[in-house]
Amino acid sequence: MSFGYLIRRIITSIPTILFVAFLVFIVMHLVPGDVVDMMLGTQNYLTQEQIQELYRQYGLDKPLIVQFGIWLKNLAALDFGTSLRTGKKVIDLIFDRFPVTLELSVLSMFFATIIGIPLGITAAIKRNSFLDGLVRVIGLIGLSSPSFWVGAILIVIFAGLFEGFNIFGYVPLTENPLKNLQVMFLPSLTLGLMLSAQIMRMTRSSMLDVLQQEYIKTAKAKGVSYSKVIGKHALKNALIPIITLFGIQLGYLLAGTIVIENMFALPGLGRLLLQAVNERDYPVIQFVVMFIAFLIVALNIIVDFIYTLVDPRVELR
Amino acid sequence: MNRTVRKFLRNPLNLIFLTILFLILIVAIFPGIFTRYTPYSMDYNAILEKPSLNHLFGTDQFGRDIFSRCVYGLQKSVVIAFSSILFASFIGTILGLIAGYYGGAWDLIIMRICDGFFAFPSLILALFIVALFGSTLLNLIIAIGVVYVPIFARTVRGATLSIRETLFVKASKVIGKSNTKIMFNDILLNLSSVLIVTFTTNLSTAFLTEASLGFLGLSVPPPEPTLGGLVGQGTAFLLSAPWITLFPGFVIAIIVLSLNILGDGLRDILDPKNK
Amino acid sequence: MRKFLVTILTIFAIVGVFAAGGKLVIAMETEPVGLDPHLVTAFASHRILENVYDSLLRYGEGMKLVPNLAEEAQAVDPYTIVFKIREGVKFHDGTPLTIEDVLFSFQRILNPDTKSPAAAFYQDVESIKMIGDNKIEFKLKKPMASALLPNFAGVNSSIVSKKFVESGKNMQLETNGTGPFYLAEYVPGNYITLKKNPYYYVKDQPYVDEIKIVFMPEEVSRVAALKNGDVDIAKINEPLNLKQFPEGKFKVYRSPVLSYYLIGINTTRKPLNDPKVRNALNYAINREAIIKAVAFSEGVVTGPLNPAVQPWALQPKAFDEYTYNPAKAKELLAQAGYPNGFEFEIVTSQRYNFDKVAQVIQAQLAEVGVKVKINLVEWGIFIKRWRESDFDAFISMNSGSIEPDIQFYRTFRTGGSTNVFLYSNPRVDELLDLGRSEVDISKRKAIYDELQRLLVKESPIIFLYSANQIFVSNASVEGFKLLANESLVFLRETYKK
Repeated sequence: MSFGYLIRRIITSIPTILFVAFLVFIVMHLVPGDVVDMMLGTQNYLTQEQIQELYRQYGLDKPLIVQFGIWLKNLAALDFGTSLRTGKKVIDLIFDRFPVTLELSVLSMFFATIIGIPLGITAAIKRNSFLDGLVRVIGLIGLSSPSFWVGAILIVIFAGLFEGFNIFGYVPLTENPLKNLQVMFLPSLTLGLMLSAQIMRMTRSSMLDVLQQEYIKTAKAKGVSYSKVIGKHALKNALIPIITLFGIQLGYLLAGTIVIENMFALPGLGRLLLQAVNERDYPVIQFVVMFIAFLIVALNIIVDFIYTLVDPRVELR
Repeated sequence: MNRTVRKFLRNPLNLIFLTILFLILIVAIFPGIFTRYTPYSMDYNAILEKPSLNHLFGTDQFGRDIFSRCVYGLQKSVVIAFSSILFASFIGTILGLIAGYYGGAWDLIIMRICDGFFAFPSLILALFIVALFGSTLLNLIIAIGVVYVPIFARTVRGATLSIRETLFVKASKVIGKSNTKIMFNDILLNLSSVLIVTFTTNLSTAFLTEASLGFLGLSVPPPEPTLGGLVGQGTAFLLSAPWITLFPGFVIAIIVLSLNILGDGLRDILDPKNK
Repeated sequence: MRKFLVTILTIFAIVGVFAAGGKLVIAMETEPVGLDPHLVTAFASHRILENVYDSLLRYGEGMKLVPNLAEEAQAVDPYTIVFKIREGVKFHDGTPLTIEDVLFSFQRILNPDTKSPAAAFYQDVESIKMIGDNKIEFKLKKPMASALLPNFAGVNSSIVSKKFVESGKNMQLETNGTGPFYLAEYVPGNYITLKKNPYYYVKDQPYVDEIKIVFMPEEVSRVAALKNGDVDIAKINEPLNLKQFPEGKFKVYRSPVLSYYLIGINTTRKPLNDPKVRNALNYAINREAIIKAVAFSEGVVTGPLNPAVQPWALQPKAFDEYTYNPAKAKELLAQAGYPNGFEFEIVTSQRYNFDKVAQVIQAQLAEVGVKVKINLVEWGIFIKRWRESDFDAFISMNSGSIEPDIQFYRTFRTGGSTNVFLYSNPRVDELLDLGRSEVDISKRKAIYDELQRLLVKESPIIFLYSANQIFVSNASVEGFKLLANESLVFLRETYKK
């Protein structure tokens, strides 16, 4: 049953992704200045014929719709294009950059979870206490602060307090794990703090919902230990909305946290995209945007699917 | 309605932050009263000065007073955030109403397009729009607005779906009201509380989007300040002159915090689930 | 005993005046765009390739032309240049450099299919031929021998191996030069490793065995890497960051560059089509203030030629227009028919502080009643508008030259390829042609003096300033030097104590 649903969801999401591809294609080519302009810069050393020849070489002389058709055809043959600027395969660029974004996302979710869930549970149990109020306000502040602002504060603090701490200068995890984790610490903490606010709020409210349910009250009345009630019964049932939020947040993170990657100089997907836009590297823009769209759509499907596993009552049609 | 307002104001938190927001609005409307310097005047002998009594928030690299620029930037940011959400709610509501009310092919097409926009990295979308049409105030508003259109469309569609099935809509149909009338009178009226809540919460994130664009260097043309633009300008000096970034960021955080608290308060009162 | 002596000598050689060998790590901002020396235009490519390839000449200290693959260069008469090619030079793959390779290199540059930017430099070359077995002669269509010489020092005039090119190698990806280093590894987006060329014709050079150039687009990363000792040398763009490098632990290198900031003006749009109006704007601009606010005093005011370019350049104080005098600007504007000022748009982009220069200009011109609207556009759009002369005015940067002909001809000659200002003045054209063919230095200087004064008076471009380039190294680095053309040719003489 749910397997058929899965297939249907996947099929219906294909038009969405193709629409994104078409949208980015059109907008990208409408923006003035193309890759040849960017290469020549403010130097005019080529004749008009030579410039035309360059357009021909890049296949940019054909009508837009034909170019899009060619791109689609190549896509169907699993040829994702080649960067016009670096001559590298776009898929290789993704393999280079995506791990950075993935690591950042996973670490951020880690921080968000270890901060958000315990605080959210505490607030729910001690409802309307001072602690609850404090957690709520902190949560709201977290929600309200621009990410780069939090990042900026963290940078200023760490640069002032910890001489020799590597704030900048990304190295791959495989090359120097210690330094990698140091460099990743502040950006993922920044994102983690922001996301933890959402998780905290969600955990609190869904725990409150669950705690008011009859079966929890019954369990309590039966004398099941308090921690067991919370840990086993309540938390499990409060998980669904939290999982949804997880999915949304992970999608948001994987889509390339452009601002944070720029701020902390991390060579991730967001930076790749921004750079490609700046250089009008069409094949890279095209595929990266589509890749991100694909990730978001896929995560949505996965989240919906996990529902059915956590709560059999949810039925997907 | 009167009762709702009273209930809303009875919560001290709501009252405090409504006052803060009101004060911010006053400052945004009459910036001249609160500032000693114009936001544009450069002073080459006061470059990158630390915050002091003379320059409350310090100065930037041209010796301009950051406090004045924050105050005037606040005005621009309020205009941008408010207009873009107004734009988004207008377009989004119409699309959502059509999708929800007519259903079928309309629904399918509109919602697939919305999915597409959702899956498009929003900052890049805004960046494209601004690059395409130039970075003027109006284009910035549209660029940010477009990002929020699908959110409104989705919310309105969902609510419309349930209202469509209610008795009084069916009754309106029976007495021969036109579809347009039903959509824009009966249904829209019933959407008001949903719209108010969505408007408030997204208004707060619109400030953050403006700030993110400013961080990436997309803002209104100089020398006009916006809060986001100020933050963006300051990031190059984060370690040598952090005040350029930190103060405008703080102002943004306060606005967004107030809007979030009010949004929470509104939801508690207006959302039928919480009654 | 003899063996012992040799050992002693060897040890001395190693720990002697400079410790040869070792590895140098440099953090740069941008990475090369392509590796074909005849095609590259980006500074970032030039910086790498001039250490990998050699040209006939090169720039030495103080931007003086010095022999490189040509042992001797001689402008025999205004129409003829003769080079004597150095013998015993080898390419990185071990094949010897022949005069065939030199001829082939220039044929490749001039071939329209190559699309080399250098082809434009040599368009007035009539013939290139061998004389004897180690000399090569350039015959020119126009009498411009001395004006042409600096082109032979450029990366775009590098000598490549005929055999290597003809074997079908992709020159944008692979290299084979005669320079002090060979390119050992290139990981795009990450780093380039250069290794010592064992065949390099200068004895003992380069001093280090290996140079790793890592690309860190963000200033913060470069600062952090240098402070942590991850790199030995780093390029610093933001002068404020120098505070983070205490003296004694670090060395700061700075030198003015030839490239200069400018206001470019479309000379066909009202009211800026009137030379009097453009001239008046000069008095309203306080160039020192721009340098102070935008570059934190790391720069020098420049006239049409960088003041360091001797003997040609007129010093800024030689121009009356360079004295900040808003009252006079107002008076001149009134004379030109604009007593209440006027309004125009400056197109600019957020690169290299262009937008900041624009803001200061905007504030300064406002004081004489001239209203400037800044149109901040994305870089790609800027280039498009620049190329199509679609602007009232723009703020940008031009790369300069030590040779006035190279600096001026394409930019100010009527119809010149970078004359996007659509500027046309018969006297300027005449002076440009005269200067190109004059061989007598003092006569030539008189021509360019007049041209410089005329250019400031008419101001199709308002020349502003040249920023300093700044590098910082840790204290152990020796022998590192900068050149005004922003090249890093002195890496061959750099080493670590």
